[in-house]
Amino acid sequence: MSSLSRRNFMKLGMAGGALLAAGEGLKGSALAGSMKLQMGGRDFSPETGSERKAIPTACWSCVTRCAAMGFVEDGRLVKMESNPASIRTEGKMCSKGQSGINDVYFPDRILYPMKRAGERGEGKWKRISWDDALTELSGRMKKLRDDGHPEKFMFHYGRMKASSSKLIKSVFLKGYGTKTIGGHTSICEGGKWTAHELTWGGHYDNWDFDKTDFVLNFGSNVFETHTNHIPTSHRLIRAMVERGVRLVTFDVRLSNTAAKSNEWVPIKPGTDCAVILAMCNVVLNKGLYKGKGEAFMKFVKATENHNASVADKIAALKKHCANYTPAWASRISGVSASKIESLAVEFGKAKTACLVSYRGTAAHYNGNEAERACKMLASLTGNIDNPGGRCKAVGAGWKYPHLPKSSKAPVTKGLNVTNGHPDKGHPQHSAFPSHGMCQSVLKMIKSGHAGRPEIYMWYCYNPVYVNGENDENREIMKTIPYLVTSNIVYDESSKLADLILPDATYLERYDWEDMVDPNQIGEHYIRQALVKPLGESEDLGDTCIKLAERMGFPLGVKSKKEFVQKSCDTTPGVKEAGGFAYMQKHGVWHPPDKKPYYYRYKNVIPASATKKDGVIYDEVTGVYWNWKKSKAKSEAEAKKKGYSHTGNAAKAYVGQKIGDTVYEVFKPDKIPKSGYLELYSMLMKEKGFNPLPTWMEAPEHKTMGPDDLIMTTYKVAVHIHSRSAHRKWASEIYHDNPGWINTKTAAARGISDGDRIKVKSRISEIVTTARVTEKIVPGIIAISYHVGREESGRYGSGKKSPMGHDNDPDLKNMWWNTHGQHPNFIIPNTPDPVNGQQAWMDTVVTVTKA
Amino acid sequence: MAKKEELSRRDLLKAGGSVAVAAAATGLMPAETEAAKGNPRYAMVIDLRRCIGCRGCTVACKSENGSALGRFNAVVKNVEFGDYPDTQKHFLPRLCNHCAGEADKGVPPCVEKCPENARGKRMKLGKERYRTGATYKRPDGMILYDMQYCIGCYKCIEACPYGVRSIDPFVKLKREDREKDLGIAKCTFCDHRVDKGVTPSCVNTCQGGARIFGDLNDPGSEVSKLNKEFNLEKKRESTTLLPGEKTMPHVFYIDPHKILARYKIEKETKEKEFMDVFE
Repeated sequence: MSSLSRRNFMKLGMAGGALLAAGEGLKGSALAGSMKLQMGGRDFSPETGSERKAIPTACWSCVTRCAAMGFVEDGRLVKMESNPASIRTEGKMCSKGQSGINDVYFPDRILYPMKRAGERGEGKWKRISWDDALTELSGRMKKLRDDGHPEKFMFHYGRMKASSSKLIKSVFLKGYGTKTIGGHTSICEGGKWTAHELTWGGHYDNWDFDKTDFVLNFGSNVFETHTNHIPTSHRLIRAMVERGVRLVTFDVRLSNTAAKSNEWVPIKPGTDCAVILAMCNVVLNKGLYKGKGEAFMKFVKATENHNASVADKIAALKKHCANYTPAWASRISGVSASKIESLAVEFGKAKTACLVSYRGTAAHYNGNEAERACKMLASLTGNIDNPGGRCKAVGAGWKYPHLPKSSKAPVTKGLNVTNGHPDKGHPQHSAFPSHGMCQSVLKMIKSGHAGRPEIYMWYCYNPVYVNGENDENREIMKTIPYLVTSNIVYDESSKLADLILPDATYLERYDWEDMVDPNQIGEHYIRQALVKPLGESEDLGDTCIKLAERMGFPLGVKSKKEFVQKSCDTTPGVKEAGGFAYMQKHGVWHPPDKKPYYYRYKNVIPASATKKDGVIYDEVTGVYWNWKKSKAKSEAEAKKKGYSHTGNAAKAYVGQKIGDTVYEVFKPDKIPKSGYLELYSMLMKEKGFNPLPTWMEAPEHKTMGPDDLIMTTYKVAVHIHSRSAHRKWASEIYHDNPGWINTKTAAARGISDGDRIKVKSRISEIVTTARVTEKIVPGIIAISYHVGREESGRYGSGKKSPMGHDNDPDLKNMWWNTHGQHPNFIIPNTPDPVNGQQAWMDTVVTVTKA
Repeated sequence: MAKKEELSRRDLLKAGGSVAVAAAATGLMPAETEAAKGNPRYAMVIDLRRCIGCRGCTVACKSENGSALGRFNAVVKNVEFGDYPDTQKHFLPRLCNHCAGEADKGVPPCVEKCPENARGKRMKLGKERYRTGATYKRPDGMILYDMQYCIGCYKCIEACPYGVRSIDPFVKLKREDREKDLGIAKCTFCDHRVDKGVTPSCVNTCQGGARIFGDLNDPGSEVSKLNKEFNLEKKRESTTLLPGEKTMPHVFYIDPHKILARYKIEKETKEKEFMDVFE
């Protein structure tokens, strides 16, 4: 053995006598203490040791869109890291960012334009040229436009942000003339945004973990999945470990966030609102509003009278919350009254406290009221837009090339299918669908009363699978005359298309980005192509430029890259720093001297602004507004209708009169509320709701029988909602989603761990596996979304896509053969009646052994 | 070996009374052998307070090294216990422990059992000379491997009590005397990055800052400060995995909830346990 080895050693040609140094970095500097390792920004091949090419870019796995760094070796993208220069990420990245590379190289990726060659959904495809694809699509689109019916082209997107949204929505679709544009926000967190628009105006809240002393979390899985995940989560864990900040999490399930919290408070689904209202009751009755809460109440509307004194406001809220006692909330939520009381006191007494809420709270029938109740609790304790509190988010502002005047659409129209049903009382109706009602779009198309699109195009979205009622979605889709998508993955929806365009992945394209900065400063950053798009794939932005050209309304830029370049070269600050060239080199920029933005509501509007031409005072609300910026045709009409009831009035807002001063306060966004932070909403009252945050129980929950359970859904750390099953490194870690059920709940049904179970709702049923666990409240079953895919390639579904290839050497190493069960088949598409948010977490089901 | 043992005894005495007392009390020998020689002694401290279970490290490692499906060099394990509503879930990041090995042996079991552990190049690190092999210990404490010398006997896989070594389907052995066709792989502490002055990939990505890498021979390093603050080396029983194996790991845990004591690695399932999969 020994001699053999020695012989081989000689054969291998090793120069026995040579002394080699281990690693060039250690040459002459190997002494202990002499090495200072740099955190990141550089990477090397483990094979050859050669440095990989580093290119700054931005992630697109989740909506957080972290500034990132891509590393390229021999023309192949091999590694993603964060951009160490980013003030948002501070050089950190999550597993979703890391697995993004799989988007480029997964073996079932769509790389060429494909035309349907069989029945819809049959899976027969013919590869066609880009020229043929563009000729066909632009021909169909141009006909609708020329016929004066651009609205019959519907565009429905899942994720478009920043420059991808501006180029496609604000330039291309504007030039085309369709207003039939749907988003996906109502199946995400749109209801939370509407509640923000009703209370403090512009949506999005930033949680100031760097400066807070206490975090009270209702239903946010901030450590796994939040919409501003890395920027917030790494700051929260740092605050906890380094400053001893306490985190208390209310959740139905022991999520990773609940697990890392100082306290996990299990709660019955859909009852967060009751607990938050009871906390307001405690704060009011114990006088914990005194001090900063009372001072803040000056800027809050809590009664019908906009001139009410702070004492009147406190009295009105006290009266409103009188019956919302901890004992009352305890009966509803299952949380003990003493726990509610002690946490309310802790929150009220903390120097600064941050109130966190997300989909666990918002994606319910009563989500709007839960979110408004959050605003009440944060207001009463003075924890709004202050260091350490719940702050108005700050992002980056960009300039961008607009649609050339010569390309203006001759006709602009829209089908009213994106905001639910207009009739009050209809199951698909909501009062303020300010972020659309994605989940009812197909039902609206089916009903046809608002018209039907001829062409339905979707992007970064999977309409069949990501809404509830998957079977119905599929059937309705099939009735639409022409279906087209731009996609990287052959999924349950692209399967139905007539034409599939091969989209470039986010790692092969250009964008400017603007997501919220937890520093309250704002960070500009860009995404740039790390590698040439694979096959014939192309960024939809570039495709739109070509389509517009063919239809005769050129967009004024020749490529998405040029769009981004011009944006960088014209945006103040970025321009002076060096524009596009600077951004390509560094990836990120923020104003170096800007101070964090807090207390914006205290800004005083100068008297001159209220005396400008067109500015009038609204007696009902106390708002100064410029009627000329609204849809009112005359001053008389504006005065007659009033600020709250004139179209576009929110955009005409100037300031709020409080006492003798006019303040900026909380500027309205989509909804024409007054400038106050409105706990009392006149607009809600007019729609028949209680003007103050109020407990509303989901109708389904009122009639639950003793065997019924509530089904909730959730996300896990390694997956994006529905766009990552094809990523091998994500699905290797998480590929099965058994239904979590409490030991006692399972025992009562004779269910053991690993049993096959039938989960039945009022619309349908699924069969899945039971995971009997102590990590969940009794009386519910929780099933995550991510997996249970019918398509999405071998790593996601076990099925090869029709366009899949076999050149990934890892295919033979794939070791899992379970792919989970998707829960959305049995979740009805039901909206929050106030804001249209899909009530994901309210479904009543029975669970039995299958 | 005898000479090395002598050396280490001398070094141990040099290192001061407190270490000697601690070592005597625990029966474990702190790996202070290289302390006076000038080379770094690399270690990782994993602060369990800071791990949020995001698996950034797991995937960053796969990407950095192009690891095959089914193979991991870094994982995070969920450690769960307690009855509802007092259920607890904790996260335990794991990787190769880069063990120093028992003092009298000077190398960990994987290196000891490797028949080709000194068949490689003659190298020098600082003032220390060493020789590479199929699997070997570098003077800075890194346990490395070089597949051109591997014969595919897999004795290292068997020898490692932690199950961190596994067969790599992407590495085809070429030696004529090979026993099996495929090579092995495991965590290298990202020597290819560290040697160029950059932290390991898992450390770079870790959002909680739970993974801290550095030189225990540098009193100013973060790992040395944490070592001092939490007595990591002195309390190996409670700061390292499988202390009973006496492998002298150089991966230490700050473990306020005593998770290590609850976490079991069984001989039969050690390789399967070193996978990152959750439901």
